[in-house]
Amino acid sequence: MSTQVSAKLPARTTTGIVLFVLCSLLSTLRIVWSAPNPARPAVDDIYSRSDQRFAVLKTRLPLRGVVGYIGESGDSATPDYYLTQYALAPLVVERSSAHSFVVGNFPSLSPKGIPLNLRLVEDFGNGVLLFANEGPR
Amino acid sequence: MAIALPIGFCFAWGFLLLGAIWPPRQVSSSEHGFRLFLTLGFGIGLFSVVFFVTRLAGITHLLAADSFVTLVLATVYAWRRNRITHPLLIESRSQDFNLPVWLRHALTASFVLSTLVACGSALLQTRAHPHGYGWDAFSIWNLHARFLFLGGDHWREGFSALIPWSHPDYPLLTPAAIAHFWSYLGHDDPRVPAALSITFACATLGLLVSSLMHLRERHAAMLAGIALASTPFFVEQATAQYADIPLAFFCLASMVCLHLGLRNSGENSAHHPTNWSILAGVALGFAAWTKNEGQLFVAAFLLAQVASALSAGRRPSSCDSAQKNRLPIAALLIALAPMLLLIGWFKHTIAPPGDLFSSGSAMLQKIASPGRYWIILRWYGKEFFRFGNWWIVPGTVLLVVLYLALRSGTRRHDPALRSSILTLALTLAGYFAIYVITPYDIYWHLRFSLNRLFLQLWPSTIFLFFLFVGGQSRSLSPDKSI
Repeated sequence: MSTQVSAKLPARTTTGIVLFVLCSLLSTLRIVWSAPNPARPAVDDIYSRSDQRFAVLKTRLPLRGVVGYIGESGDSATPDYYLTQYALAPLVVERSSAHSFVVGNFPSLSPKGIPLNLRLVEDFGNGVLLFANEGPR
Repeated sequence: MAIALPIGFCFAWGFLLLGAIWPPRQVSSSEHGFRLFLTLGFGIGLFSVVFFVTRLAGITHLLAADSFVTLVLATVYAWRRNRITHPLLIESRSQDFNLPVWLRHALTASFVLSTLVACGSALLQTRAHPHGYGWDAFSIWNLHARFLFLGGDHWREGFSALIPWSHPDYPLLTPAAIAHFWSYLGHDDPRVPAALSITFACATLGLLVSSLMHLRERHAAMLAGIALASTPFFVEQATAQYADIPLAFFCLASMVCLHLGLRNSGENSAHHPTNWSILAGVALGFAAWTKNEGQLFVAAFLLAQVASALSAGRRPSSCDSAQKNRLPIAALLIALAPMLLLIGWFKHTIAPPGDLFSSGSAMLQKIASPGRYWIILRWYGKEFFRFGNWWIVPGTVLLVVLYLALRSGTRRHDPALRSSILTLALTLAGYFAIYVITPYDIYWHLRFSLNRLFLQLWPSTIFLFFLFVGGQSRSLSPDKSI
């Protein structure tokens, strides 16, 4: 059998609940405002574009193992590196030029500061380069 | 259509696992709601574990392995269901709030509105950011999934210290579940991590509301739903493809199972609190398999349960309580053990050491710096007001206001509440200790992680608040079976 327990709410409780709901709905408004405009969808496809940039390079690299990495400096250096690693997985990409193959990633600047021991093997366009390590010089 | 099969496995496994552990009685109508959401979470958790085990064992016939798991679960489920001896329970419900009609309608409309807005915003965010909302999605979680899926026999190479900041020591619930789905699709479709992220957020909201609907009543459940769905940071993270919301789900699931067990213990033998402890143990195991913070939560949960059992044993009025509490704790540990073994094995043989523990002397030096404690305390205080990105009035403050409005002035002795609060407090203390010894710049570390740590506990906090504080000092009346 069911047992019902009822209690009439005091005004304090009603006020508290109303305040709680109203203030919560204010934040619901914030969620509405911060949502992307459904009429003008702007898709952030940086990851897909990154995968496409490295697609041809990926076919020229070994299927497994570790390759080196050099890229631009500045604020975008770290995201650029992770995008490269994400695109080239399951290859491990190490931020070092001490590997037989070294990937160059220069999406916005022309390559500079290339270590002397690296020889350009192929330029895949869009700032994607493949270097071979010719040993310490 | 290729996606239908893994979704079917995932759902079936969650259903069968829950059904096999559920107390041996018929499921009541009010239990169907939270059982559905637990099914989703547990199914994904098991889906992840099975994939990881097949990778470890070098099993390449995934369909055969999944079919075998389904067969085993179905057999256990059928055996357990045949032993149902207890009839359906007619549950008593407390009607705590005798709300005026206009407020009932306003509450229902607000709940529907906030839920629709949260879901709509999450879908729009996912369309705008199909690969997630922040670095961690592709530099940690989805990267690990790619290594598990594309790495073949060499998948371990992805968990290398050569990839800085990829946190190869992080547990693999979400990456392995994603990789399992990808294996059926045959390619790394970005819609899978996106869908998984949203599924966990919906399941968290659904579990919160449906469990309170069962344990308390409709209006408290709707207020809780409004609190969570109106948290902008929760909605943002719902599409981030991080592991914080999956962890929040499993923390909440463990709390829900604990309270279902504790509520029923001693009231009706048909409820079998041990079964609820096993379910809580499974949820805790999945929490530990989701993030390292989940392991901290497990430790806090266990400590709180032991403290609660010891405290019960000291009370003269309940001299057999300690004895009674031992069985659920043992059941919880037994359910948790397989996941802890798997995590221990992963940490010992595959993952490099974590990045948070530096040399002993460096950590001692930090522990002995009072300034660090003060910095962390200040950030905890600030985050209390800033957490959630609420507009104008913070959600934490709103809960305090509602508490003041709802409190009845009488204090209840409630061991379940005490142990739950202790769990949350110990977890927060654990986070605090990690910040004290962090090798990173403390401001940077606090800035980029504290809000997500709070988010992990936010659904559980809301659950506990509306389970206990809004109760007008009346606890539920005992269930009566017919």
